[in-house]
Amino acid sequence: MNLRSVLRIARWEITSGATGLDRRAVILAAVTLLALGALAPVVLMAGSGPGEGIYRVGVEPSSPYYEAVRHDPSFSIHEPDLANLRSGELDVLIEGEEVTIVDTRKGRAAGSALKAAIESHNDRLMQSEPDQVAAFPVTVGIEYVERNVILLRRSESSDDGGGGSGGSGSGSGDGPEGFEGSPGQSGGSGDSGGLPTIGGSDALLGETGGTPSDISPPFPFISLVLAFAFIVPMNFVIQAYASSILHERGKRRGELVLVSPVSRWEIITGKTLPYFTLMLLIAAGTAAAIGGGLLSLGAVIPVALLFLSCAFVGALLARSHKELTFVLVTVSVVVTTYVFVPAIFTDIHPIAAISPLTLVVRELEGAIVSPGTFLFSTTPVVIGAFVLFGLGGGLYREEDLFAQRRVPAKLLDALANPIDRRAMAAVMSLLAIPFVFLAELLAIAVLFVLPLELSLPLLIGSIATIEEVAKSLHLYAGYERARYDRTVRTAITVGCLSGLGFFVGEKAAAVSQVVGLFQLDLGRAAFELGAGLGGVSSSPLLLGVVLLAPLALHTVTATISSIGASRGRTPYLGALVLAILVHTAYNLGVVIILG
Amino acid sequence: MIEAAELRKEYGDVVAVDGSTFAVDRGEIFGLIGPNGAGKTTTLKMLAGLLEPTAGSATVAGYDSRERDMRRNLGFLPEDSPVYEEMTARSYLRFFADLYDVPRSVADDRIDSTLDRLDLEVRDRPLGNTSKGMKRKVAIARSLVNDPDVLIYDEPASGLDPLTTNAIIEFVGELGQDRTVVFSAHNLFHVEELCDRVAIMLDGEIVTRGTLDEIREAHGGVEYHVYSDIKVDGGEPMGDRYRCVVDDMDAVETLRSVIDDAGGELLDVRTHEPSLEEVFLAVAEGT
Repeated sequence: MNLRSVLRIARWEITSGATGLDRRAVILAAVTLLALGALAPVVLMAGSGPGEGIYRVGVEPSSPYYEAVRHDPSFSIHEPDLANLRSGELDVLIEGEEVTIVDTRKGRAAGSALKAAIESHNDRLMQSEPDQVAAFPVTVGIEYVERNVILLRRSESSDDGGGGSGGSGSGSGDGPEGFEGSPGQSGGSGDSGGLPTIGGSDALLGETGGTPSDISPPFPFISLVLAFAFIVPMNFVIQAYASSILHERGKRRGELVLVSPVSRWEIITGKTLPYFTLMLLIAAGTAAAIGGGLLSLGAVIPVALLFLSCAFVGALLARSHKELTFVLVTVSVVVTTYVFVPAIFTDIHPIAAISPLTLVVRELEGAIVSPGTFLFSTTPVVIGAFVLFGLGGGLYREEDLFAQRRVPAKLLDALANPIDRRAMAAVMSLLAIPFVFLAELLAIAVLFVLPLELSLPLLIGSIATIEEVAKSLHLYAGYERARYDRTVRTAITVGCLSGLGFFVGEKAAAVSQVVGLFQLDLGRAAFELGAGLGGVSSSPLLLGVVLLAPLALHTVTATISSIGASRGRTPYLGALVLAILVHTAYNLGVVIILG
Repeated sequence: MIEAAELRKEYGDVVAVDGSTFAVDRGEIFGLIGPNGAGKTTTLKMLAGLLEPTAGSATVAGYDSRERDMRRNLGFLPEDSPVYEEMTARSYLRFFADLYDVPRSVADDRIDSTLDRLDLEVRDRPLGNTSKGMKRKVAIARSLVNDPDVLIYDEPASGLDPLTTNAIIEFVGELGQDRTVVFSAHNLFHVEELCDRVAIMLDGEIVTRGTLDEIREAHGGVEYHVYSDIKVDGGEPMGDRYRCVVDDMDAVETLRSVIDDAGGELLDVRTHEPSLEEVFLAVAEGT
């Protein structure tokens, strides 16, 4: 790749992008960016969660309740005036020791909040007492565990500790050591799954203990909002980027650049570079504003690449700005969901590890992130982004770039373009692994909140569907675009190759073990079923069978789909359903055998 | 300078170009004609390296058409004038000169010189605000920023007003004096006016090629129109007399005898050289 050509195209992209915008659009974009830029420091300075100052309390500084009210951010303090109470400008009026609450829903909520604030204030006073044993004669440690019905039953039958139920107090004041209930259950869903203790959430709560009224699940609200500040601008940048790609396709404008002595990869890189750089600059500015460091920046780069690659492919598939809008909304929702939803469970649940944004949250919370965790969160995203760029690059040529074919037809073109020999069936399945990984992680993220009895079958079916589609869609594209002969022999050959490629890639995905996602029941379900590694016997024969079983599964089901695909669309869909059923039956069998 | 060997392009089940073979010598103007969908544009795009042939090969200026270095010595003009509307003529041409590694000072001189020759005054207005003819001239100027030896033009004067058309055709003729030019056109008069050699394409195949004389010869050649005052076999009324069309002088002499024997008089004999359009129609209709 010629760097000079890339930079020339990048410079042209900046120039044409700048001159292509009208003044109003520039002003709107600037205001939006400024508003987003202002968001981070404001949230940071605010230093509190939602509901700040929603209750208006009239209280004198000399009142004994003043300190209690002042320490609770949900209250805003005003002059105590009965007239203001009557006019509705105050929710609570405190005069001396007399407390008057407006008889409205909000007033009653304010009263409850005041009661809690007073209790907290009293707790703080007790904590400041020199004789803590006298102040708090009983200490109870709390440990948050995963809500898991099956786990509880197992725990109760094998261990009287009552995993996750709160355990018994040791009376020592050391908290977590009093818990005996949850470790070591089958499936590893107990505390060994990385669930935080109350100590783990200390950084979040800013306290080392408290009374029962202080107990609430750890929720890194501020860090999440700040992390979200990294993501929001990306949604705007990809709009401009995708529009630029679509503009290139309109009226065949890009044709003459294609016939100049630069490669399509130089064109793609040159056109992408300014937007990627802009994303980096915004991310760096955001990081500087909110106190993030290189870790946050490193975690955001894969997300930026994923956004750009999805927008790139979307812009190549869309036939009009109307279609592009639909595609970009889909991209924004899916990518934001993938990176943001798991991050909500930072420090609560290992599922959070699948999102690069979790790394940002953890850095903002001052937690240490291991290289393995960093790689686990970012590698699939980076590989997925580059594979998408690769697929899109296959379409960046005269005969596809300007064609006005439907999105599914272009998708088939993108999948078929790299196929120049049968062996590509294995390569294509291998390259599909990052997307399978991302899709399965997303499925876990969406389903894990459901009871295991419901989520596990759903997940097994979802995984079978994702994997069978990934193994066979490129085969179907190969037949439709005449890359493969429609013979039974070819169908069996490319089916077996596809299964083999997928098997090899799936083994590589065993990286998921790095952060202990396997300790989560659903994690095991997602990544162990296909690999067939769980509960492997010490018998070499059984070990061999278990290792080869997934290979047999993938080749058989891919061959079924391949034979269907070689006969046309309807037979393909029928064969795909059959392959999914076989795969699901296999997964269920593995679950039953493994217990 | 250009050699196409069994070029073939398939789009799924559709064969757009089926085994095109031809060669264009240095300094020659070569015309590619044929009806819509005959495969002219596809052939030109394969020569320009925009499309990859399904089979066969092409060399342009000594390079395989798929090689990037070939493009450095090629000026390609597509059928439309796909310009970036937000750019001015000057910035647009400079951008492409940059892509071809043309030094800025050389590029500026070349751009000004070409735009002067094309009589394009508006150089600093966004191209989106210029006429179709101006865009076409800018597109032609763009094909010359790298001073190529080979020009491939697809319908260079398509859809333009007569004045602009004539100006562009004249300019292409000038370019052909020291460069190799391959171009397609629907206006066969322009092809006849400019081209040294011509190929006629039908349904993806080159059905005939050669100089205009060779093609005329192969598809009818010179005709003799024999006029008489009486009707003989094959004669058609033309006002107050009759016309017979024959292919050679022997046939003229035979016809003279027939007219004399019938008591009539041979009034006139005229030669008629068919136009390229007539030859093309004859080829297209399979006659």
